Amino acid sequence: MDNTIEIQNLNKFYGRKQALCDVNLTIRQGMFGLLGRNGAGKTTLMRTLAALLQKRSGTITICKIPIENEKEIRKIIGYLPQDFSMYPSMNVMEAMDYLALLSGLEKQERKERTELLLQKVNLTEHRKKKIKALSGGMKRRLGIAQALLNNPKVLIVDEPTAGLDPEERIRFRNLLSEVAEERIVILSTHIVGDIEATCENIAILESGKVLYQGTVDNLLTAAEGKVFTKITNKTELPTLKKELFITSMHPQGKEISIRFLAENATTDAEACAPNIEDAYMFYLKKNGAELEVNGNAVLE
Amino acid sequence: MLFWSEFKKIVVGIPYLLFIAVMVIDLNSQDALNFSNDSVIVPNQSVTQNYGIKNEEIPELIMPAALTSLYTEFCENQYRTYPIGFIKYVKLDYDKQQKIADILSKITGVRADEIYAAQDSSNNSDENTFVLDENTTTQPNNNGNFTISIDNNTKENSIANELQLTVREDISYTAFKDLMQTVDNILGGGSNYAPQSLIGYGHVPITYEEAVKQYELVKTYDQFTGGYARLFSDYAGVMALSILPVFLAVIMSMKDRRAKISELIYIRKTSSTKIIFVRFLAVIAAVMLPVILLSYLSNSSMWHLYSGMKLDYLAPLKYDLIWLMPSAMMVIAIGMFLTELTNTPIAVAVCGLWWFIDVNLGIKSVFASYSLLRLAPRHNAGTKSYFRTQDFLDNFPRLIANRLLFVGLSITLVLVTIIIYEAKRKGKFTWKK
Repeated sequence: MDNTIEIQNLNKFYGRKQALCDVNLTIRQGMFGLLGRNGAGKTTLMRTLAALLQKRSGTITICKIPIENEKEIRKIIGYLPQDFSMYPSMNVMEAMDYLALLSGLEKQERKERTELLLQKVNLTEHRKKKIKALSGGMKRRLGIAQALLNNPKVLIVDEPTAGLDPEERIRFRNLLSEVAEERIVILSTHIVGDIEATCENIAILESGKVLYQGTVDNLLTAAEGKVFTKITNKTELPTLKKELFITSMHPQGKEISIRFLAENATTDAEACAPNIEDAYMFYLKKNGAELEVNGNAVLE
Repeated sequence: MLFWSEFKKIVVGIPYLLFIAVMVIDLNSQDALNFSNDSVIVPNQSVTQNYGIKNEEIPELIMPAALTSLYTEFCENQYRTYPIGFIKYVKLDYDKQQKIADILSKITGVRADEIYAAQDSSNNSDENTFVLDENTTTQPNNNGNFTISIDNNTKENSIANELQLTVREDISYTAFKDLMQTVDNILGGGSNYAPQSLIGYGHVPITYEEAVKQYELVKTYDQFTGGYARLFSDYAGVMALSILPVFLAVIMSMKDRRAKISELIYIRKTSSTKIIFVRFLAVIAAVMLPVILLSYLSNSSMWHLYSGMKLDYLAPLKYDLIWLMPSAMMVIAIGMFLTELTNTPIAVAVCGLWWFIDVNLGIKSVFASYSLLRLAPRHNAGTKSYFRTQDFLDNFPRLIANRLLFVGLSITLVLVTIIIYEAKRKGKFTWKK
């Protein structure tokens, strides 16, 4: 079976509001990052790929199976929704067993698969713990384990690291990279660091449209020569905020080092190698997205 | 096995304990859990026994008794009716009271103005007010007058201001029924004077021979336990199974949404048909399990009364499955269907309303009520209802038709629920996330 997802001219509406606009994507085996701001359409795209939403127009084939064939799609899809949860009164084993049953696994297979996956996500010692007693990180790991129960060819993971502490986030990324060795994993996130650490191929989604699809390297290349650093006096910062598209700031005593995007170098500024966050912001800016990077959100 | 997982989801938790507790309290309040003081008496001709009464369409009994009742209600201007099953006291205006007086006049031959005057007088005099309650009986005597007995102090009394009301000798039963139909129309329908309800005035004592025949039926057909199982089913149907299961069905149907795991289930391989049917069966099993246990608890309480007799130990199970389960199925199916359709617990209100109407419809015809759309069939003549096997046999085809109808309707609703569930699974009802 061809491990590719083909999306052509996909359109999706909620009433009159267009959520996805002529989306064209080709996703191959390995980790694929779907980057975009909140409300960009990532979750809608993920849910449409999981056959949980109806498209208005366009075609989607997953491993050569048309999305309209939900019965077959459900056999090869694993899904971790943004707000993963389970019946709070069930324990970890019961939850896994219940979902494995719904995945159509036989008794022995259920047992083996559950044990293997709990081991993989490091939850074996918490197998008897109630769902309501799990930490956020444990829940997400359980989420991955349940999504892998049917050994899916495609794993769809929606905003999995939101709210996790750094240690859990790193652990989770590594886990995703590991499972992506033998399947397509689509990781949707607005956290650039997750993509940077795990994905080779990405797409940037903004207002339901694909702004970019390609490798992370190409994204970085496109932003080369557009990122600069400058050390300036803190008193000048308010003026610079108005003039420049600042992506980060690092206080250094009475001075401050700023990093900003610009088409051309300015005086006292030094070109530097872009990171994925710079490249992402560059793409959004280039495509006319309304950005307020100089507000408190980025400064924090 | 998916069934056991779903079953466990239902029975583990406070709602299920509450379901059982309410059912036990309800049944216990009706003494339906212990029949040990309620044995069938063997008819014995050598001692004086009261074998109860039955209703028969005997005009000589019905006409004077109905006249008594009508005149009493006329004097009080308070007529009891059941227009849509609920009891309703009707008070008539002057013109309509005059029409009733005219009808009474046609039945008795006494002038309408005299009757009306007597009514006025009756209303203005405490001495002429009769309260007919369980301590009061009315019996026609040989000359057509009535003897009204109050608190064992029997006295001959012509009703209302010494007015002698007797049914005219020349009035036919057909003409009488026509007049009663007019009375029923004036009252707005649903009164005891409707021709089909007049039989309720034909009280006849059960004879020894009939009592023996009844006893033999109880012994051979019911094998004693069947009658008690029927009485249990009557109570359990009306007090519990035609309303309580909806709570479990709604809670079960809302559980995925409340736990935010709908999508996790939608994405699975298992078909919507299997998920919904297994859940339906799981709720039925969860509902019927305590019902079966309670029915045996109730039934076994009388086994010792009939030691040495042949008893049908499967009777409670048969009645549970044939009589009670269709009511539960219907209520559960409504619960699942409306919850899946609306994502709200509106089914509780819908079933509550239906139950309320059904219970009240059953009040008038509690002795034997097996009409096609009755959610909870009734068969209850109080403490001796098990003694009416022939009534049950006479109505058995209607009961089966009723039960099959509800089984069919519930399965149809489950099928529609599957269609809705599958549509939701595909995101067809999703407007916004």
